Amino acid sequence: MIIEALCLKKKYFRDENSFMAVDGASLSVGEGEFVCVTGRSGSGKTTLLNMLAGLLPPDSGSVTFEGREYGGMNDDELSELRNTRLGYIMQGPGVLANFTVTQNVILPHVISGREGDPTDRAMSLLEQTGIRGLAAQYPSSLSGGELRRVAVARALLMSPKLLIADEPTGDLDEETTRGIMDLFSSIAKEGTAILMVTHDAETARRCDRRYDMKAGRITSPGAHLG
Amino acid sequence: MKCGKTPLSFRGIAWCNLKRRPFRTVCLISLVAVLACVLFGGSAIIGSVVSGTDGLSKRLGADILILPSGYDKTIEGILLRGEPSTFFMEREWAEKIYEVEGVIAASPQLMVASFNASCCSIPAQIIGIEQDTDFIVEPWIRTSLPGRLSDGDIVVGGAVSGKPGGRLNFFGREYRIAAKMENTGTGFDGSIFMDMDSARRAARDRSEMTGDPPPPGGAISSVAVLTDGRFTPNAMADRIYSRFGYGKSGIAVVPAKEIIGNVSGGLRTLAGFVTAFAAVLWLLCVLALSVVFSVMTNERKREFGILRSLGITRKKLASLVVLESAAISAAGGLTGIFLSALLILPFRVYIKTTISMPYMHMPPAQMLAAAAGSLAVSFAAGMLASLCSSARICARETYGVIREGDA
Repeated sequence: MIIEALCLKKKYFRDENSFMAVDGASLSVGEGEFVCVTGRSGSGKTTLLNMLAGLLPPDSGSVTFEGREYGGMNDDELSELRNTRLGYIMQGPGVLANFTVTQNVILPHVISGREGDPTDRAMSLLEQTGIRGLAAQYPSSLSGGELRRVAVARALLMSPKLLIADEPTGDLDEETTRGIMDLFSSIAKEGTAILMVTHDAETARRCDRRYDMKAGRITSPGAHLG
Repeated sequence: MKCGKTPLSFRGIAWCNLKRRPFRTVCLISLVAVLACVLFGGSAIIGSVVSGTDGLSKRLGADILILPSGYDKTIEGILLRGEPSTFFMEREWAEKIYEVEGVIAASPQLMVASFNASCCSIPAQIIGIEQDTDFIVEPWIRTSLPGRLSDGDIVVGGAVSGKPGGRLNFFGREYRIAAKMENTGTGFDGSIFMDMDSARRAARDRSEMTGDPPPPGGAISSVAVLTDGRFTPNAMADRIYSRFGYGKSGIAVVPAKEIIGNVSGGLRTLAGFVTAFAAVLWLLCVLALSVVFSVMTNERKREFGILRSLGITRKKLASLVVLESAAISAAGGLTGIFLSALLILPFRVYIKTTISMPYMHMPPAQMLAAAAGSLAVSFAAGMLASLCSSARICARETYGVIREGDA
């Protein structure tokens, strides 16, 4: 298993009331698998994903990535994991406005402090995601679909073992959605596991397995599709 | 470093963030620049004045000055503000004072004011000195002039235009510049020094031109007194008064420190005000910058969240924010000091005149120290303000930061 979550719980407070955003969720993703988590808005999908990405500590339960549990890792170790082993595509346009497309893509390399020039790898990823021609552009001149492709290329730069994507096709048209899903399928075939959140049943059909979430609970435990 | 080019460095991230938000960057730099400008300007002016009075105190060298009664403010004007004046007293006062117990030296001076007319090259204070007894100006005239002052020779203060070998006219008579002194930051900088006989002749020339009564034969204007230190200057003044009679003698006995002390006391108050103002300004600036950095940090929550999701550690994220604020603080500090210097240095003569303090004098080393101090204080303000914001953002959970950034 690349990643395994056991009985994750997360409680939020709104005014004086509390509610369980994630309530005992367990899931796992194996090498090269393309897994979806579906559910209506507010079902706890994004909270679950953020706990899996190590961006949000759970109230209880555990997440294990390649045999190492997040609970035993400090901020530096978790950050390094996100930087090198786990690509994360957040909901919405997750690119930085002050940097060109290429600069956005190479940011993980810059953050890692590694030697070498990652520009060639970035250009090949931009080619793969179909936006090489936009390499020198700033995000303000890009469409929603193009921005999402930048985020995908960036998440793949460090050749992660797992790609976590939060609603990567949420606000995209049908054709762009199809393009992104084709890209994800080919990435998965090359060995990178993908865990994707979507509320679109049609998109979810492209995945190998699917978890359904409702009110913070996983209701269908990762059934294989098709 | 060029923004938009690859490969990008970690410092390049900070640079691009500053460059791609020019309005925000310029506003922050301006805020720090205002602080640095006031700090440097204030410290340079106060430092100059304090340094000038220190110089005056050292150069005056006398414990007591004997003047015609009522001229104690006049001598203050001559020494501190370079206001030319003419007044006389009888020569014998130098001998009389010398006989008082505790006096070890008494040297007369003659003060003659030239004026702004065709007869005189410049309006200045002409000071006649008795070269055999003088202990005030003679020692530092010696540094510029190895021999004695001959008849018709003058030594000019550092602020007087003219070079050694040049000529200046006073009351229709030509004088040769034998030497020029360094600037002292005192009223002496605008003065003309000549031997006593030449000065008496100048006084007679002046009275002929103005129609004023001629000076009495062997006239002097003041006597500088050096004591053996057994008595304080005030006690010596009392002894002189009691020997020659209060009010009846027609002289004023002024402890030299009183002249400088009046100014020093005023300066201490002024320096206190400036320091207090600078402290308040610093606090306000830290507060304003904290608010600006805090607002900016709130605006940039999503950006910080993205960087965290890409694997930047809390420490590196904090160092990125600190790097940006360090660049802003340094740029603001240097800009402020440069602007302040640009205002002060070319207009220092005007400032001296406006605030009636010709003894403003700050050596370059002291000026550099003031600049370094102002830069450090401005830099500290910027850093302190940003550290609070970066600490706050780094203490938050990343997902919380992203969610708030989306809100």
